[in-house]
Amino acid sequence: MAPYVNFSEMEVGDMLPSVEKDPVTKTQLVRYAGASGDFNPLHTDDAVAQNAGLKGVIAQGPLIMGFVGQAISCWVPKRYLKRFQVRFKGMTFPGDTISVSASVAEKIAERENLRILCHTEAKDQKGEIKLTGQFEVLCPVDKS
Amino acid sequence: MADKSKIGVKLPTYLLEVERVKSRELMAAIGDDNPIYLNKSKAEAEGYPDTPCPPTYITMAFQEFTGAYLDIFKMLDVPLERVLHGEEEYEYIGEIFPGDVLHCQMTCESIVEKKTKSGSLDLITLQTIFTNQKDQTVLKARSLIIERL
Repeated sequence: MAPYVNFSEMEVGDMLPSVEKDPVTKTQLVRYAGASGDFNPLHTDDAVAQNAGLKGVIAQGPLIMGFVGQAISCWVPKRYLKRFQVRFKGMTFPGDTISVSASVAEKIAERENLRILCHTEAKDQKGEIKLTGQFEVLCPVDKS
Repeated sequence: MADKSKIGVKLPTYLLEVERVKSRELMAAIGDDNPIYLNKSKAEAEGYPDTPCPPTYITMAFQEFTGAYLDIFKMLDVPLERVLHGEEEYEYIGEIFPGDVLHCQMTCESIVEKKTKSGSLDLITLQTIFTNQKDQTVLKARSLIIERL
């Protein structure tokens, strides 16, 4: 794994390295239904989704939140993650390729620690936004 | 329309037993192979006593395994087919590990009606507090549920 982001060297406005996911698959939606307990058939049964006026099944919003959680875990040790919030914005269909990006929005020194607020978003291959969110990190200042 | 007399109502406390296999299943579904969440010795090397739960593990605490959403929507008189998930927020206070038993307390924090161009909505905010078997509050979750009226 790549090393975590060193927030001591980051400034407000800096981008974190984006995380690119493989295309979403129908099998993945079934797996996520089983893993999460979200068995709404809109996510697993094309006929139900088409009856609801969609072209087919759509991904569970929290799966895309899970992609962002994966990205955050590449950037920040879990113990420094203090808050993670998302707003679901758009539907994700099988075949969509999601990329997760983030930037530093606030950086506040608190004694031996840095409190960092990052803004994040998940987009598909067409640049359509699936969710926006933010997360807060509390990490020790790197004195090296 | 959500029953606004139920603002402040709490679901009876329910339990969530944290299982290692569910962490693995969730990680596999997401397509995340971060060893901190999967491999105890890798987690120990980063100073954790065991593999911590990934950031979105707690999502499963509201779904069919516990029935919490179904129960609270019933209590609030909200029909399932009119419900959309608007926002989700987790505040991490401590780590959650396999073997933990979490006491989950869900409260209907607010119900606000909002008029939009395409019709009226009820914005329902649910807060859930997770306390482990050592009586430590480890996580607070807030879900914003949208009911299309």
